[in-house]
Amino acid sequence: MINAFLVFNGQGQPRLTKFYTQLDTSIQQRLISEIFTLVSNRPPGSCNFLPLPPLLAASSTSNTSSSAQEQNDVPSLVTYRNYATLYFIIISTSTESPLALIDLIQVYVEALDRLFENVCELDLIFNFETLHATLGEMIVGGVVVETNLERIVAGVKAQGTVAKRPVNEGRTGGGIGSGLGAGLGMGGMVWHGR
Amino acid sequence: MPSRFEKSLYDLIRGLRNHKGNEKEYIQNCLKECRSEIRSQDMDVKATALLKLVYLEMVGHDMSWASFHVLEVMASQKYHQKRVGYLAAVQSFRPDTDVLMMATNLLKKDLGASLPTVISLPIAALPHIVTPSLAMSLLGDLLPRLSHSHAAIRKKTVVTLYRLALVYPEALRAAWPKIKERLMDGDEDSSVTAAIVNVVCELGWRRPHDFLPLAPRLFELLVDGGNNWMAIKLIKLFATLTPLEPRLVRKLLPPLTNLIRTTPAMSLLYECINGIIQGGILGDGEDFSAREEIASLCVNKLRGMVSVNSDPNLKYVALLAFNRIVVTHPFLVAQQEDVILECIDSEDITIRIKALDLVQGMVGSDNLVSIVGRLMRQLKASSAALSEQKNGLESQDIETDSSDETSTDPRRRRKTQERAPPLPDDYTVDVIGRILRMCSQNNYANMVDFDWYIDVLTQLVRIAPPPRARDPDLDSSSTKLPSDISEKVGDEIRNVAVKVKAIRSAAVRAAELVISRMSSEISPSRPVVSGALKPVAWVVGEYAFQLSSADDALRHLLDLVPRIESPEVLATCLQAIMKLFACVAGDGQALWTAERKSSVSLLMARVIHVLEPYALHPYLEVQERAVEFVELLKLTAEAAAGQTASTDEVQQDPPLLLTQAIRSLFSGWELNSVAAGTQYNVPMPDDLDLDEPIHPNLDSLLAQADSLMLPALGEDEFEVYYNQKPPPTNMSSEPAINRLMDAPEEVSGSYQHAEESYLDPDIIARRKAERMERYRDDPFYIPDSTRSGGTSTPIHNILQKENGPDLDIDSIPIMQLDLEKLSLSGRATPTTAEKQQQQQQRPKSTPRQRIVVTADETLGGFGGSGSGRSTPRTMAYDSEHNNSADNLAAGRSSSSTGKAGAIKKLKQQQALLKVDSSNLNDLSLGDSDRPGAAGFDPERQQREEAEMAQALREVQRLRLEMQRANERIQVAQGVPVEGVPVVKKKKKKVKKETEEGGGGGEAAGGEEGSGSGVKPKVKKKKTAAASVAAGDGEGEGGGEPGVVKAKKKKVKKRVVQLDDDGGGDAPPV
Repeated sequence: MINAFLVFNGQGQPRLTKFYTQLDTSIQQRLISEIFTLVSNRPPGSCNFLPLPPLLAASSTSNTSSSAQEQNDVPSLVTYRNYATLYFIIISTSTESPLALIDLIQVYVEALDRLFENVCELDLIFNFETLHATLGEMIVGGVVVETNLERIVAGVKAQGTVAKRPVNEGRTGGGIGSGLGAGLGMGGMVWHGR
Repeated sequence: MPSRFEKSLYDLIRGLRNHKGNEKEYIQNCLKECRSEIRSQDMDVKATALLKLVYLEMVGHDMSWASFHVLEVMASQKYHQKRVGYLAAVQSFRPDTDVLMMATNLLKKDLGASLPTVISLPIAALPHIVTPSLAMSLLGDLLPRLSHSHAAIRKKTVVTLYRLALVYPEALRAAWPKIKERLMDGDEDSSVTAAIVNVVCELGWRRPHDFLPLAPRLFELLVDGGNNWMAIKLIKLFATLTPLEPRLVRKLLPPLTNLIRTTPAMSLLYECINGIIQGGILGDGEDFSAREEIASLCVNKLRGMVSVNSDPNLKYVALLAFNRIVVTHPFLVAQQEDVILECIDSEDITIRIKALDLVQGMVGSDNLVSIVGRLMRQLKASSAALSEQKNGLESQDIETDSSDETSTDPRRRRKTQERAPPLPDDYTVDVIGRILRMCSQNNYANMVDFDWYIDVLTQLVRIAPPPRARDPDLDSSSTKLPSDISEKVGDEIRNVAVKVKAIRSAAVRAAELVISRMSSEISPSRPVVSGALKPVAWVVGEYAFQLSSADDALRHLLDLVPRIESPEVLATCLQAIMKLFACVAGDGQALWTAERKSSVSLLMARVIHVLEPYALHPYLEVQERAVEFVELLKLTAEAAAGQTASTDEVQQDPPLLLTQAIRSLFSGWELNSVAAGTQYNVPMPDDLDLDEPIHPNLDSLLAQADSLMLPALGEDEFEVYYNQKPPPTNMSSEPAINRLMDAPEEVSGSYQHAEESYLDPDIIARRKAERMERYRDDPFYIPDSTRSGGTSTPIHNILQKENGPDLDIDSIPIMQLDLEKLSLSGRATPTTAEKQQQQQQRPKSTPRQRIVVTADETLGGFGGSGSGRSTPRTMAYDSEHNNSADNLAAGRSSSSTGKAGAIKKLKQQQALLKVDSSNLNDLSLGDSDRPGAAGFDPERQQREEAEMAQALREVQRLRLEMQRANERIQVAQGVPVEGVPVVKKKKKKVKKETEEGGGGGEAAGGEEGSGSGVKPKVKKKKTAAASVAAGDGEGEGGGEPGVVKAKKKKVKKRVVQLDDDGGGDAPPV
């Protein structure tokens, strides 16, 4: 299952945090910063999987005693994807398919792109309720419930209108730039898992 | 009223962006505003404040104090406010949030709402906040949602029921028939089916037996599902089912092969292969040819994924798959060694680590050198890059060794940095640990060339990152400080020196080198931190007679000692100094000349000078050794001064104290390695009584000592030592007992000179010199033409002497011996790999043909001298295991207590983010007409009753709590309440009250609170149990006598109120 879904930007500022187990705020923050350190040190052309951050590695090694079965409960995979200024992270157990998770992030970003029309980081900053709503249409309690783009978008829209980006903030603010839409292509990185 | 001045979330975020630099202050102001806004009567203001708090929580600001307000907003009539409330609950509720029980009715109500969007809210929030009692009371409301007209509701309900079942397994028993019905329904919405498959996949590995009957339907979905996401999950599920039902394999193979051949989706292709591996389909069976075919198909596809130019993600997952195959089919993976080894050099650390996992299992004597060589090159490059960086910063050039690599041209330097950025320390430590493990496996079974190993170790001491300071934030239970890696490297040098006699001199000289480098390289002001010093100093001391210059070694150690911080290292070094001194000064044969007399006296003065300060060292081991040695040396110095030096006429022997007494201290038995744990098997002597006091009048003795105690300086030091935290040190390395290896192995030597680029030039030079030295007298060794001055062999000398200077022996033509053929015929059947090696081999010298690695000594009863394996702490040596041994123990104990039904928190510590599904193990999903189901019933009923009783108590307790809270709020109105402290106070008070008053109230509902596997909180349970025990009755009367009179009234009142709505329903919020 999926243990956490995180979005943060290139400076490590969280834009969305969703933990499917209850976790202290301080530990959440530490985990985020550990993952950010890992993710920001990736050489170009490396794979979309991270080694376990120290916090998780510590807890998973202490479990080596238990059977292989128990291992299925322990988060063992950190998948990430980078779009423009943002990093999308999924922490999951070994029961998820690594390549499918890469696709899942793609679906999420595409859904956001549809909802916001050319989504950029600013949209996500100011509409984080919509971020949660979109994620809620895809994942419930750590289990994927929907991967179909139309249904996800329809589900979010059914909850009310999606706010547009504040007019006066504009695209120029903070040099956020090209927006995520430009990053969607990620040539050759798209799996046809769906 | 003041709503005009409130910030919206939009304002907050904009403000945050406009206050770059002093965000902290801004946030604190916002939090203060939110605290007052959230108490507003205006629901809009309240909800907005909550939304802002949720946003700030995301950035790391605790909002647990607001949990009551979260409930208020959740109860709002307006959807957009309600949604904020639910979001806040999901994001901020923690296991210890106890207002949750008050939400039960609200959740029930929202689950029964007519709008699907409203129903979705509690369904999506429940997985985050569910507790066993909440699950139990909501199950009835959730189940009907499985047949809701909206597919979106149905699919979410399925998942939520699964999460309910994790904490309350009975939920699944009730829900399973309905879920199954949905799954079987061919007309069901595809999303719902997919969600069910996802859930079944999660459940599947826990309880594969229960899902075997579903196989036909799942198979149908796999074949014509047309949904790749679902197909992936189905294949994963089947992989857990096939081991139970071998017939499935034959059914699955055709569609899987078909998918592998046709699917355009890489993820599906990979999962097919993975499923085949995990499902044991690769395993042997009757239909051999078909399996052979599928195996080669899979392995070839994986090979393609790993190969150099492929996508890094594919590389990673293929390595994952190989890691699984290697368990069952090591030979299939061994065939891919070439491509896997390439991955070790990948830039991507994730891929490297996975490849390393694999390689560790593939190491053999033929590839050890090349694999370790690869890793060494990485480490070397990284440390070079690191020191380059340092050089760049400090603009001073310390690195002299890699001068051939470092170029003064800055452009090139930048390039090398780009190529090999310094590796993170964690990774370096990990790799060094792996190298040591690979090399020392099975008592050096794979080691062919110990000279090479010594060189590698010498290099590793230089590369090893310094030990990290302990992080005070980390609680010691979750993250143990990894013991210093350089100490492990040093331990290896020591182990080789002890165990491999043939190579001891080389190891000793390596140790010498390490020490001399340490004393010369590290600036005198800086403390020595490298843990390698301890074992290395031991080697230098113990084998002092094999040093090239014991004088120098002694001098270096004396230089180092004042800079050592760790007391354990210090103790070892003091001992080594004394051993060295005995070696240097204690020669009994040499004459006691005036020259010798003065030099020995000087040396003694110097040693005494260095050791004397440690006579007051707070660490007893150091103190004791220092005192002993200093006193002994002072005596000896007196004796030496008294002994007149020999002159030409009178021969004088050196003082006996020097030549006999001191030397005999250290020249007893040779120390051998002892298997870990053997110490425990030493029988206790019959006449040893550990309870007997050492001295009959110890107290008075100590009192005397106290009065004699030196004041001032010494005491301070003791104070520091005993009252401050001891430095993090590892006591593990008593000389040579922490090894556990196999029987001695006879290993033949071989050289591979191509792999030396990772060694520092000085190490290589030293090795070459040594080799030259060793082969000088070897008639079978023909030196390089460049170096063969031809004057060094004794034969040469003899011939030259015999024949006079006229005969130039070097001019006599020598027929080139074809040594390759010779060695080939001398061997039994060389493998192809060996042949290749022999191309580069030099002929071996006879003494090195058989290297005996001594096995650890064990005591009888453990399967003979060779097998130390049977000793209790078999794994103690293995660094990684050693590391995690304590963790392991902790993990084990905590998991066992966890299973005994204990604290959720503990479990979370055990594995962060883990969702524990072990509860499901005890659940049987079988059809009700199964035998045993009937027998199970009464027990189950009992459990349910117990749970119900417990839940009732919980509800009543919380009711009490809330009532008290309300009372207090009314009383304390107007007092400026600051969120956090209020909650804390409330908790404490409430707890006290329940303890006092609970006796009556809770006993009313209690029958027996134990016996169930699911308990929300132990603390509460304890109080409950205690009060039940104290009250021991169903009526209120039983509990009251224990209550203080003054409080009696209150208790009575409360009990009465409780009885009023005895149904136990939670109050409306």
